[in-house]
Amino acid sequence: MTEAILRIRNLRTYFFTRRGIVKAVDGIDFDLRKSECLCLVGESGCGKTVTALSILNLVDSPPGRVVSGEIYYDSLNLLKCPPDQIRRIRGKEIAMVFQDAQSALNPVFTIGDQIAEQVKLRPEVNQREAKEQVINLLKEVGMPIPEKMIGYYPHQLSGGMRQRAMIAMSLSGDPQILIADEPTTAVDVTVKGQILDIFSQLKSTRQMSLLFITHELGIVSEIGDRIMVMYGGKIVETATVSELLNNPKHPYTISLIKCLPDITQVMGRLESIPGTVPSLINPPSGCLFHPRCDKAMAVCSKEEPPPFIVAEGRTVFCHLYSRPER
Amino acid sequence: MTNRLKSTRSITRKVDRVKNLAFIIAMVLLVTTLLLDIFVIEMIFDLLTYLYIALGLLFVRYGIPLLYASRRLIQYYWQRAIKNKLAVGGLVFILLLILLAFIGPLFTVDPTAVNFDEKNLPPLGFTIEESVYKIETKQFITSRITGTSEHPLGTDDKGRDLLAMIVSGTRVSLQVGLFATGIAIILGTLIGVSAAYLGGKTDNILMRFTDIMMTFPFFLLLVFIVFIFGPNLALIVIVIGLTGWTGTARLIRSESLSLRTREFVMASKALGASDRRIILSHLIPNVISLIIVIATLSIPGVILAEAALSFIGLGDPSVASWGMILKAGQQNLDTTWWVAVAPGIMLFLTVLAFNFLGDGLRDAFDPRSNI
Amino acid sequence: MKKTWLRDYIIKRLLYAIFIAWAVLTVTFVMVRVGPTSPADKYLSNLAAQGQDTSQVMAAIEARYGVDRPIYEQYLNYITNLGRGDWGWSLSTSMSVMELIKAHWIYSFQLIFLSSIFAAIIGILIGIYSAVRQYSKTDYIATFFSFIGISIPNFWLGVMLILLFSVNLGLFKTYYDTSLSLLSLANLKQLILPVITLGTGMLAGYTRYTRSAMLENLRKDFVKTARAKGLPERTVIGKHVFRNAVLPLVTIIMFDLGSIVFGGAYLTEIIFGIPGLGQISFNAIFADDYAVVVAVTVISAFLILMINLITDITYTYLDPRIRYD
Repeated sequence: MTEAILRIRNLRTYFFTRRGIVKAVDGIDFDLRKSECLCLVGESGCGKTVTALSILNLVDSPPGRVVSGEIYYDSLNLLKCPPDQIRRIRGKEIAMVFQDAQSALNPVFTIGDQIAEQVKLRPEVNQREAKEQVINLLKEVGMPIPEKMIGYYPHQLSGGMRQRAMIAMSLSGDPQILIADEPTTAVDVTVKGQILDIFSQLKSTRQMSLLFITHELGIVSEIGDRIMVMYGGKIVETATVSELLNNPKHPYTISLIKCLPDITQVMGRLESIPGTVPSLINPPSGCLFHPRCDKAMAVCSKEEPPPFIVAEGRTVFCHLYSRPER
Repeated sequence: MTNRLKSTRSITRKVDRVKNLAFIIAMVLLVTTLLLDIFVIEMIFDLLTYLYIALGLLFVRYGIPLLYASRRLIQYYWQRAIKNKLAVGGLVFILLLILLAFIGPLFTVDPTAVNFDEKNLPPLGFTIEESVYKIETKQFITSRITGTSEHPLGTDDKGRDLLAMIVSGTRVSLQVGLFATGIAIILGTLIGVSAAYLGGKTDNILMRFTDIMMTFPFFLLLVFIVFIFGPNLALIVIVIGLTGWTGTARLIRSESLSLRTREFVMASKALGASDRRIILSHLIPNVISLIIVIATLSIPGVILAEAALSFIGLGDPSVASWGMILKAGQQNLDTTWWVAVAPGIMLFLTVLAFNFLGDGLRDAFDPRSNI
Repeated sequence: MKKTWLRDYIIKRLLYAIFIAWAVLTVTFVMVRVGPTSPADKYLSNLAAQGQDTSQVMAAIEARYGVDRPIYEQYLNYITNLGRGDWGWSLSTSMSVMELIKAHWIYSFQLIFLSSIFAAIIGILIGIYSAVRQYSKTDYIATFFSFIGISIPNFWLGVMLILLFSVNLGLFKTYYDTSLSLLSLANLKQLILPVITLGTGMLAGYTRYTRSAMLENLRKDFVKTARAKGLPERTVIGKHVFRNAVLPLVTIIMFDLGSIVFGGAYLTEIIFGIPGLGQISFNAIFADDYAVVVAVTVISAFLILMINLITDITYTYLDPRIRYD
């Protein structure tokens, strides 16, 4: 097994709102290994994005705050870093691609300017070199005629082009880790494939570690090595992609997979999970999923399920697997 | 069922007709009295009184029903607005000011009473030195004058009680602020809503007209008109009202533009409602919160405009407005500084109170707007 | 592509500005002529009071200005003269209006210019600081003072400043000395109180607008992107947020220049005795010298229109998304 480049332990990020404390991320642990693609999957509002923002210390404060936990990048605890040090890690060591490139790009600067900003932070780079680098980056993400595109404003580009520019921007600091927060959600289906291709390519050419956040299980198989399912601010299951898709353990994962449209079934109804995402202000007791779970037992509403290691590298947080040796 | 519906409708219509008739009769009566007053018996009331009665009638006929129709909305916003302490403070101050304007004069001395024995008295708690020429000794002697509780704010160079002057000035400022704003708001709302609702050419003409009005250097225009036609409070109120509607018209127009194509307007149009009815009972009630905010925030500007006008010597000489007292104080700044300070503080506090209230209301209605 | 539509747009707006200025001119002209007093009345009565023979003067004035002719003829005459750059004759100062304005505009300009710069720089800086430190003590203090600044009547503020600094402390002269060179330090010193008088309200307004514009943009996604890139906070705020917040600010600052300043500046001139356009037009109004009134009104209106046009053009450069059609 390759070593972990990013280790997250007991991360809790809460939002202190007028209505109460929203436990957006509530005690999660995971490792991101060198040059792997770890997919973080879950419904909207389950804390995926907040997890990503917590890593870079970008949670809006107030109202949000990381209340406990450690995030180790190599041996450095990012949560204990002074602001200046975390700033030097952002972009250069850990970069992020945001969900909606339309709003994540500044409307009043050209994309060339925005991509060059990170490059220009290095004092040894001059104007011409910076421009060259920007063009190379745009080429790398498959932007057509990059020499011309650098002079364009975000509103002049199509959704796919914008997302490419966004990815090029995240690569501009040559980061070790790339966090992609639902990079395919805001684009057309046709563009989605191209964007995914860019990521698979980057993974192989740049040898970087990818934390890929998505709510679509369908695209995980194309890109992911391992997968982590989140529910209500907690991780419920971790496994390799093929294992999880072929043999899901947690009832939530099982229902998620059932919800995938199946092309072998011609006229099948689309499945859905009954009930709604739990309130993170007043979460249900015990296992957060028990109100919606069809296999719920008495213990489920009382005790929070501890992690059960069901196989090598497979963890499930579910009381169903509590009986050892079965 | 249909019969009953029809009968209720015809009753509403009858009530409407009676109301309109009463309103028109009242207006006609008012105008006739005014004309009689001007041409036959020569002014029992001054012009302002007529203006107030006219505005009052308009308010009773249209304002009250409108406010009543939107009472739930207003109540909801009210709940949010009173959470803002500064806004509540502003409102309390304004209410006190209104009270002062009404009953204050009963408790103060005559603001016009001249008394040279008590001239240049400083406010209570202050002492000044003044050199006075004594006829008996034919010498200048320096005497110390201390403020008395009889004239808590002191007196001016003619021995008039400053407190009494300030209290009577309150009424002037409030009158100007409320009534000129009233005129401006009525005009602005009508023009803005009509432009948005009727659209096309009407909209174009009205907005071009608004552009022209906005381009006039407002204060210069005001000074000029008041100078030509003579300094008269009614005229000042009317001129400020007639020139001050442009901003309101623009804001109301842009707000109503989005309403014009909304379903409830389309529906009542399809049901055959008249334009007048749609404007009065669908469009205006929906912009009433905006109207209230604009009104509150424009009152300070109007009060200041009147004060500035008085300050440069074009105030109505028959009423002692704050601006007028301030002007008198400025001329004797080296001897009776308090005469310049007191009205300025009142002006400042009044404007501040309206700004606090308006800001709180705006935040309650629409925190993101940039009025 | 941009150049063509922008040029067409500017031409269209200029034509529109000329139309509006013409409308303002016409309205003012008519108002002046139908007013109860005739332009020559006061001048003549003054002459009569000095014991001069007015009939001769009257004839001269009539011959020159044709005030007894029908109003449309006077109007046409006025417009034709205007076409030659002749704004008429100021009776009270015995100068051509053009000369009068040429001699005095600079005093208004220096006051407005300095006040705007003073208000904009300080107001924007406080606004930015206040927004970045939202809910801090500094923010509350800044907000409170901006309320006070907005509410304080500027003519009263002027009087109070004179009372405190000129009358009591004797730091400044109580009158404006026109013999000083405009670019001298002494002139700058005597403008301190007028600039504070005129600038305080503007400053408070800019503080508020900057704060709210900054706050609105601080919440935008692109700010997070900029931070995620590892940019220093200075760049994030100063470049990414401010560049977006400046868009609404430009409109407000220019609008202020156009409207509030003209009223406030003219009043400030009167309080401090600065012989700018405000002062001369008030003097003209009180002297029934209407040619000056018409000219100052129309020139002010035209300036407002030009400022609006410049605002819109600036906008097309500041905001790449804007396109006027």
